[in-house]
Amino acid sequence: MKFDLTILAPHVPFLLKGALLTAEACALALVGSLIIGLLVAALRTSSSPILSRAAFIYVDLFRNIPFIVQLFFFFYGLPEIGIYIDAFTTGVIALSIAGGAFSSDVIRSGILAIDTGILEAAEVSGLSKPVIFRKIVMPIALRTSVRPLGSVFINLVLTSSILSTITLNELTGSAKIVASDTFRPFEVYAVLLIVYASLTYLISLAIGSLHRRLNRDRMPDVA
Amino acid sequence: MLTLLGKVCDMISARGVHKSFGSATVLDGIDLDVSVGEVVSILGSSGSGKSTLIRCMNGLERLDGGRITIDDFDVSNPKQLAEARKRSATVFQLFNLYPHMTAVENITLAPIQVLKIPRAQAEAEARALLDSVGLGARSDAYPAQLSGGQRQRVGICRALAMKPRYLLLDEITSALDPEMTAEVLNILAQLARTGTTMVFVTHEVEFARTISSRIVFLDKGRLVVDLPTNDFFASGGGMANPRIAQFLAKMRKD
Amino acid sequence: MMRYTSFTSYDFILLAQGLGVSLALFAVTTLIGLLIGTTWAIVRFYRVPVLTPLITFFAELLKNSPVLVQLFLVFFGLPALAKINVTPVEAAVITLSGNTAAFIYVIAVSAIESIGRDQIESARVFGLTRWQVLRHVVAPQAMAFAVGPLTGLLVNQLQVTSLISVIGVVDLTKIGNILNLRTLKPFIVWTIVGGLYYVTAKLIALGGARLEKRLRAHTAWKGL
Ligand SMILES: Nc1ncnc2c1ncn2[C@@H]1O[C@H](COP(=O)(O)OP(=O)(O)OP(=O)(O)O)[C@@H](O)[C@H]1O
Ligand SMILES: [Mg+2]
Repeated sequence: MKFDLTILAPHVPFLLKGALLTAEACALALVGSLIIGLLVAALRTSSSPILSRAAFIYVDLFRNIPFIVQLFFFFYGLPEIGIYIDAFTTGVIALSIAGGAFSSDVIRSGILAIDTGILEAAEVSGLSKPVIFRKIVMPIALRTSVRPLGSVFINLVLTSSILSTITLNELTGSAKIVASDTFRPFEVYAVLLIVYASLTYLISLAIGSLHRRLNRDRMPDVA
Repeated sequence: MLTLLGKVCDMISARGVHKSFGSATVLDGIDLDVSVGEVVSILGSSGSGKSTLIRCMNGLERLDGGRITIDDFDVSNPKQLAEARKRSATVFQLFNLYPHMTAVENITLAPIQVLKIPRAQAEAEARALLDSVGLGARSDAYPAQLSGGQRQRVGICRALAMKPRYLLLDEITSALDPEMTAEVLNILAQLARTGTTMVFVTHEVEFARTISSRIVFLDKGRLVVDLPTNDFFASGGGMANPRIAQFLAKMRKD
Repeated sequence: MMRYTSFTSYDFILLAQGLGVSLALFAVTTLIGLLIGTTWAIVRFYRVPVLTPLITFFAELLKNSPVLVQLFLVFFGLPALAKINVTPVEAAVITLSGNTAAFIYVIAVSAIESIGRDQIESARVFGLTRWQVLRHVVAPQAMAFAVGPLTGLLVNQLQVTSLISVIGVVDLTKIGNILNLRTLKPFIVWTIVGGLYYVTAKLIALGGARLEKRLRAHTAWKGL
């Protein structure tokens, strides 16, 4: 059999639908991971030893257990305790929780890198702790962490292919169907590989420009 | 100033303040009053505890003994600290501006959040303050886009925007080169003329002499001299203390 | 039926077997990956034309695509294209080795680059060949530099092995699937499976930290 890509042409719309589902899941999971990541990072850097310990255990567990195991835990486990949600929601939740563990680590180091003098200035001006976190700690930590958070997001996109194992026909899941319909798995998966790699490349470009935009004030202007 | 039913008002009052880090005693029974309208300079060699005293006044360090009140609000009491902090404002040696905010945003954050001043009003006041220190044109610049002297002027505006009764300043020019130092000191002189109360930690002895009403001298955590400025520099006054004479000689040499 | 869904002592043997398969594949593919990855880095060190950019491209492709897709390409794609037979274990070994190699390559390259051109050049001036420089100057230092990132990579690659269950290798995750279907107690099954992975990952991290400490002490001592 020779390598022939034209046989894929009729399946492009179907694959695009899968890609769209991947994009949706990843976008939602990105938001979820950032929220969880911020919360957990706040707990980990809090002065309460119990809270920071609990946050550490969460991060440690979810970073050291394979995602597919976490996914099966939720996918098969939640119905057992009477929670019936569809595969898409389960996938987004699992991705958010795993992504949250990685994001929180990145955000935490962003927080720890903040000059303590800045926090003292905020404290003596009478700002409350929640306001200091929202207005000063969070924005500074987030913008210095854009690049590492970008790597976390790229990993999230790659990891999302595992959602195909819980019957979700996102990009990889759709490709599986096309591969078995056309009997041309090599072409299908080779193209898929390139598609994912291009996607992550585009994301890394976007992250680079976001980083430059958020940190533009650090570049001295000639006014 | 006046004592009424045991209450002291209108002043920062430190009584028997002790502070140690581990086994090292850094403040050893400090008594100091600063009344509204005064400019008090704190002199002393490096490590004598000047910064620590300021940090005790604004509640950044916990006292190990004694008491500091600002207009009767005890900084060691968590419930009164917020009120004490509303009455004082601090300018830092390393500026400590919020790097992600413009000059105006740096200045308006606390007035909006803490004093609940409407944003439009806070911004107008911030721009007026920046104008008054010659930074009107740089109002929307970020800290990284400003020179050191400009940053410190923003730092002063940020403190003034809280309309504090007391301004605490800790070596606010020591990170600046002479030209920028002059920019900043000019503003302080102006503030002193308009009657702003200041507690001023500095190594600029000559400048302290021109703006202070009183000078106190710290040595190894003890307040050894507290005199009106003229007396401090008179030969029979502070100069009679060999530590001070030595200190001043060294400062003049640098 | 009741007895069928409950756990038996035999299940522990199953779990142990699954863990054994996971660990064996992890060890084998780590070794192969180390070999291939460092070879690639050496090719780059010698600045071999054509091959160097090709390797860089290939490594980037492997790093930036899902392992699951790589696995499908090898397991389903290769047989269809080349008319050869590929067993699940073979597909797993090929894919995981290649994937590990790509990451090792990146670590090795940055470890070599951490040493600094001037050191390498001055060694060359003393008349050492490129190979001698590599062996006596670059390798020892690069190794000390690389242990930290390598440990992180290995902890990650252990987790990646769980994906081979999808093409039917009976590893720890596959045993989890089997027990999950039979006992219908997903929480217990996946907690145990997750726990086993967790403990293994921690042991790898611990080993890496020990090794790093020893290598650090070694290089520090040599520096005196
Ligand atoms: N957080 C801390 N932990 C331990 N020791 C400290 C701490 N802060 C200050 N010290 C010590 O307390 C002493 C007084 O420090 P402080 O900063 O108050 O001196 P200073 O008079 O402001 O000196 P300088 O003129 O150099 O600013 C010093 O010996 C210093 O090392
Ligand atoms: Mg000081």
